[in-house]
Amino acid sequence: MLGDSNGRPSAPRRRELTDLYATILEVVKRYRGVARITRVSYGAGMPVDRLRVFLERLLSLGLLRTEELDGRPIYDITARGQEFLDTYWKMRGYVEVLGRSPEERTGRRR
Amino acid sequence: MEGDLRVEPNATVEVDGRLVVSGTATFVGRSEVLGDLECAGFEADDADVTVRGALVVHADLRARDSKVEVAGSLSARTVDVDRSLKVSGPVTAEEIEVGGVLEGGSTLSARNVSVGGRFRLAGKLTAQKVEAGGAVDLAEVDLETLEVGGVIRLAGGAVRRSIEVGGKFEAEAPLTFGSLEVGGVARFRGASKGGSVEVGGMFSADKDFAFESLEIGGIGSIDGNAEGGELEVGGKFDVRGSLSLRGSLEVGGAISVGEAIAGSKAEVGGAIKARRATFTSSAEIGGAAMTQEGLKACHLRLERKSRATGPLVGDTVEIHAKAKVEDVYGDRIELRDRAEARNVYGRSVRLGDGVSVDSVEYTETLEMGRDTQCRSPPRKVAALPKFPL
Repeated sequence: MLGDSNGRPSAPRRRELTDLYATILEVVKRYRGVARITRVSYGAGMPVDRLRVFLERLLSLGLLRTEELDGRPIYDITARGQEFLDTYWKMRGYVEVLGRSPEERTGRRR
Repeated sequence: MEGDLRVEPNATVEVDGRLVVSGTATFVGRSEVLGDLECAGFEADDADVTVRGALVVHADLRARDSKVEVAGSLSARTVDVDRSLKVSGPVTAEEIEVGGVLEGGSTLSARNVSVGGRFRLAGKLTAQKVEAGGAVDLAEVDLETLEVGGVIRLAGGAVRRSIEVGGKFEAEAPLTFGSLEVGGVARFRGASKGGSVEVGGMFSADKDFAFESLEIGGIGSIDGNAEGGELEVGGKFDVRGSLSLRGSLEVGGAISVGEAIAGSKAEVGGAIKARRATFTSSAEIGGAAMTQEGLKACHLRLERKSRATGPLVGDTVEIHAKAKVEDVYGDRIELRDRAEARNVYGRSVRLGDGVSVDSVEYTETLEMGRDTQCRSPPRKVAALPKFPL
């Protein structure tokens, strides 16, 4: 999670749906086309049965693609998925800035 | 002991000093080793293994669907753990791959480290390549490349080639790096130096910052001095000290610098504010130029309806329609329709229709349009006063 204006870790905010989708996509991306569901589950910190629902949604939106390797599905991020991640992180950056009051933003410069 | 060791679920292995296994130690289920363990190979399957001492694996450590915890040091040729690996002492290996969480209480040295989820290390990390999908919290680093999907905080050190971070990057102490690409936020708390820097959202440096190129999508600030090649900012940029560039400055919004700005070329969509600003080539200002000592460029252009405080100096100075400026110094000066200036000093001066000035001094030519107001009569002089800057 992002920290506060003084760099201290902020109280962990509840992970929203978009955070979960982004986390899953980042973990899948890390395995460069051969992400197995168990590995994604450990990386994203999410049980496999719950993760399966999220993966289905990401596949239906074209943010992930899947194929079979040795009879088991493997996942990879698509260009559209990468576009989602780029936008998500950029927006999180802006939210951190805009979420602070002008006093907080200028406080360290006084 | 000679041969292999198989540890069944819920077993506790009592060790007097160090247990040496010539073959492979295999673990299934939850088990504990109460001392040091040295083995040729280490395998775990659906297991939760705790080693209360040091763990030395001469070949590979494999833990499928398993957690491994080591109270002492860990050394192995390769480490591959699916769920989590926690080690209190130093870790050395060639390759480390953890699917979930990697936590270390001391140093870690490896060629490659790959973590699917969270990675936390209290001691120095020495590696060629480090990748992590989730949140990363590191002390000092000595790396070639670093790739993180989520957020990373590190104490400082060196990443000689590239850093790629999806979300947020924070360096608490001085850091040197080859290149940095961050999707969201980048924050440097110590004086740092790097090559190309690309940040999608916000950039901040609390001390001096040196770079080859700095590209910021949103807003940025440097609380010390900034020195580099090129700077491009989509929004707003603040520098408390001076900003010295070898190349160009492009700012979509506004830039504010406490001391001097120097560069080759500037394009500022909004406002530029500094004690002084000098550019060896051109400067185009869309909104406002506010300086105490002046703004100087070979070719200086202030756009329509712009504002300037402080002297403007250039070989060629163009002040576009309805702009309002103070003193202007140049070889060729043009004030377009209904622009306003205080005092104008140039070799060749052209004042458009409806222009209003306090005074004009020129050495060669003066052209005046209709309804031009000059509150003191224009004076042709042999020499102009010394230009500022």
